Amino acid sequence: MGIALLALLAVFVWPAGGAAQSAPTAAAVPVEEFELDNGMRFLLVSRPELTTVAAAWVAHVGSADERPGITGLAHFFEHMMFKGTHTIGTKDIERDLEIIAEQEAVQEKIRAELREQRRRYRLGEINDPYDPAHRTDTLNALRAEFQELVEEQREIMVKDELDKVYTDGGGTSLNAFTSNDFTVYINQLPSNRLELWFWLESDRLLNPVFREFYAERDVVYEERRLRTESTPTGRYDEQADAMFWQSHPYSWPVIGWASDLEVISKSQADEFFATYYAPNNLSAVLVGNFDPVEVRELAERYFGRLPQAERLVPDVVTLEAEQLAEKRMTAECDCQPQLQVRYHAVPFGHGDGYALDVVAGVLNGRTGRLYEQIVEGAEIASNASAFYEARKYAGVFNLRAETKGDATPEQLLAAWDGIVAELIAEPVPEDELAKVKTRVSADTYRQLRDPFFLMIQLTIMDALGDWRYLNTVAERTNEVTAEDVQRVAAKYFEPSKRLVSLYYRKAGTDATETPAELEALPPEMRTALMSQAEAIAQIEDPAQLEMVLQQMEAQSAQVPEEMRPALDWMRGVIEGRLAELQEDQGGEQ
Amino acid sequence: MSVRVLVRVLALVAFCLGPASSAGAQGDAEIVAHPSELTYGPLDFELPDADGFRRELAGGVPAYLVPDRSLPLVDITVRFRIGSWLEPVDQTGLASLTGELMRTGGAGELEAKAFDEAVEAVAGNFSAFIGSTSAGMSMNCLTTVLDECLDLFFSMLTEPRFDGDRLDLAKENELESLKQRNDDPVSVAGREGQWLLYGPDHVDSRFVTAASLEAVGRDDLVAFHRRYVHPGHMVVAAAGDFDSDELAAKLSALLGRFGKEGRDQAPWPPQGAAYEPAPGVYVAQQDIPQGRVQIGHRTFQREDWGHPDHFALSMMDGVLGNGGFTTRLMKRIRSDEGLAYGAYSNFRIGSYWPSNLSITFQSKSETVAFAAKIALEEVDRMRMELVPEDELQTVKAAAIETFPSNFESAAAIASIFAQDEFLGRPHDYWRTYRANVEAVTPADVKRVAERHLLPDRLVMLIVGDWEEIEPGDADGRATMAEVAGKIGGGVTMLPERDPVTLETVSQ
Repeated sequence: MGIALLALLAVFVWPAGGAAQSAPTAAAVPVEEFELDNGMRFLLVSRPELTTVAAAWVAHVGSADERPGITGLAHFFEHMMFKGTHTIGTKDIERDLEIIAEQEAVQEKIRAELREQRRRYRLGEINDPYDPAHRTDTLNALRAEFQELVEEQREIMVKDELDKVYTDGGGTSLNAFTSNDFTVYINQLPSNRLELWFWLESDRLLNPVFREFYAERDVVYEERRLRTESTPTGRYDEQADAMFWQSHPYSWPVIGWASDLEVISKSQADEFFATYYAPNNLSAVLVGNFDPVEVRELAERYFGRLPQAERLVPDVVTLEAEQLAEKRMTAECDCQPQLQVRYHAVPFGHGDGYALDVVAGVLNGRTGRLYEQIVEGAEIASNASAFYEARKYAGVFNLRAETKGDATPEQLLAAWDGIVAELIAEPVPEDELAKVKTRVSADTYRQLRDPFFLMIQLTIMDALGDWRYLNTVAERTNEVTAEDVQRVAAKYFEPSKRLVSLYYRKAGTDATETPAELEALPPEMRTALMSQAEAIAQIEDPAQLEMVLQQMEAQSAQVPEEMRPALDWMRGVIEGRLAELQEDQGGEQ
Repeated sequence: MSVRVLVRVLALVAFCLGPASSAGAQGDAEIVAHPSELTYGPLDFELPDADGFRRELAGGVPAYLVPDRSLPLVDITVRFRIGSWLEPVDQTGLASLTGELMRTGGAGELEAKAFDEAVEAVAGNFSAFIGSTSAGMSMNCLTTVLDECLDLFFSMLTEPRFDGDRLDLAKENELESLKQRNDDPVSVAGREGQWLLYGPDHVDSRFVTAASLEAVGRDDLVAFHRRYVHPGHMVVAAAGDFDSDELAAKLSALLGRFGKEGRDQAPWPPQGAAYEPAPGVYVAQQDIPQGRVQIGHRTFQREDWGHPDHFALSMMDGVLGNGGFTTRLMKRIRSDEGLAYGAYSNFRIGSYWPSNLSITFQSKSETVAFAAKIALEEVDRMRMELVPEDELQTVKAAAIETFPSNFESAAAIASIFAQDEFLGRPHDYWRTYRANVEAVTPADVKRVAERHLLPDRLVMLIVGDWEEIEPGDADGRATMAEVAGKIGGGVTMLPERDPVTLETVSQ
């Protein structure tokens, strides 16, 4: 393997600024960079000791480039890039394209029907325009017609050929991911098969065919159900993001709104591709065992074929409107009670970002202030963390904490406000600052260990604005002073610029969680009371509930002292059900 | 900008030197029509020699030391074949708390907070865990602070203080996480699936409850650590910036810090209580828009690492659903029908007890039945039909061509060879691996499928909204009655359980 005989991979740099005596050393990533005539950029990190190459290309486009009506398209489009090309994925490209055109014609008719369904929905005739139960005969007939075309296409398809060709060639990790700002397509191959990557990746940029569009749309919908709708806080987190971003397109989820996914069309995907997948909007990153000279030649030969864009790729122009007043969300879900606080902060590349990262460093970890003050000290949180997220167009500073025992999300908020006040009022002691800086510097070495991880880091940093961040972060962090920390805390942690999200465990009738009032009771009695509460939730007759309430009051004098909280809890359940019934009646009138 | 210009000039030079010296459209002529026509040079890979890295430390402790001087970092991991199966049933959680508190409860002269600060001061990454059948403690540090780190690391290993306040905190926080056990379908499926296949009494079927947590005291941690965390059954893996002889000497000296009293040699983990799972469909009700599905049965325990059936089973699993987008489950359930984001199989052979097959997917309520029907069809097809040669070839290629990447880093090499020692897997396994895979034929795959895929023994667990799932989809492609009929054994609604006590809650 010859690992021991390698030349030093990293270039060691020392921070140029002051405090030289305590400044730790840091590593730099040795990147070779070039650009093709059509504007596509390449970043190379040569690692001759490896047997593989980790390879990726990134399109500088994400959900922030969408608009209402096509939310989720950037991510959905990413899925379509795996469906093949003129060469890959079909035995008969001519017939294949004809079938796709015929499919689109049927889908156009389906969309016209869905427009009518939405009208019926607006009028209150149906409660969901996309529920299969409400499909009209026309819709069903069109769907059947479409299904026939799908079957016909299957006859000439070579299923998932892209993946098969890569797998046959020893490729692993064929995948992709989409964020608000970028879309990354990743691979890892044996180093002698690198040309396969150039062939397949340039082919899918030159001649893509978005086949199986509508089956894949269902896959994406399942992904949405999996990640957002079936997780304890998924839909609430989505709402919090939508509340936090007022004008900026970061407000919608990367996966897209459910109703947009129902109607996204292939022609929208075609247009999206033509606009954003131009070579001057793409960068490639290779980390591994290759000859850089040969890679340049391959890059010219394969990716040099991509035609130069005729126009500039559109920028996201909407700036986040200044937040004037605190926002607050109160959620009840099947989840641990928790607090999330989001503050508007600066985008990637802004100088204040380094100090904000230092703030997060001071707060996090077992020696951090969150652990010391609210996990171990006040014992009101079971865990807590802070995170500065630098996106391309704007930034957000997040605080998250889960409650412990009887503590409430409000208590967590009060404690957090105290921690913020301290950050603003008192300079961070030198040893605390040094701890964070030492960690950042040491991690610059660690990020070089895994070639795949390094490749991902380089693509993301390039997409956010500049991969050189990896080589300057230690030095810039070392320049951060205690005054900087105070300044950014005061500037960005203003209550009027934040969203506070308070999550409570859904109360009342869910038998799977134990209300605090019942915790002191023996388990059998607790179980009995909770199933009674469930039964009460099913009662439709207010008079019956009133009667139960009266009986309870009559007997309350005989109830032993330790049972009182349970009695009060039960009274609350009944009163809650009564209120619900009254509300329902009000709604019908 | 000057850098950019320079790079451009270099690119131009390279371009002229390369074989494709024609520009633009003419370059197309150099590109083959289909990637199957590409030709490649040989891959420069030689299997690392395990014995060359093996050292015996003081007391015969085996160590795999793989130097890599390219970065000033050192990784050290120690492994023990111990775990929660060694703890008393009524103290479930003791082993994992012992692991957690080794890291968080202070060590040697340093109290908990002081120990954390000392680790931070050298920017070290330290961890410790004790799982069900294995334990691992590791450190990653810059070479410049290696001696300080080794000192702290061996304090953690040999003299953990198990600070009482930190233990209370860990137990209280664990209690908070118990409260969340019913919130996520993945967690419910993990627990119920385990019980359905292994029964409630298996050593791997134990779950922490409020009571078992309460029963664990500081003395228990001290005793567990003293009995089981010692060099008598330890394997060391190290990688990074060191000279092997020097590091071996340092480690041998540090091993002397382990006391000698009260040590138990942990036996090989036992098979666990025998249990015959009852085939059928089982439902854990949860109000979510999808059903999370696990279909499986028990498999067997490995006796011989070189048994040809194991390689055939691994290929069978790869054809069925353990791989990328090319597997049959993925093709039909995801790609063809759009029923799920993913559909996977995993045929596991146990190291300590008969393991299990699991087929998993998560689909919207109305299409759970249709996706399940497809999964069952594919299980049958593996037993009935010969796998086409080229389909099998793709799965074999995936194993063979990616083989070198398993040994990509010094840390990976050290870890694989230490794991060999840990599991009793001969190093020679790797030398013959590719030939063993290559030898698998379609007939082998069919033979092992017939023998080891057991359609009449399947247990299907669904976590989801049964009322929505049962009728199937509007297009009438499948109902749960149909699926349950195929599986046999009927439909059983699992009782709701209190997330903290795991006791059933009456309906």
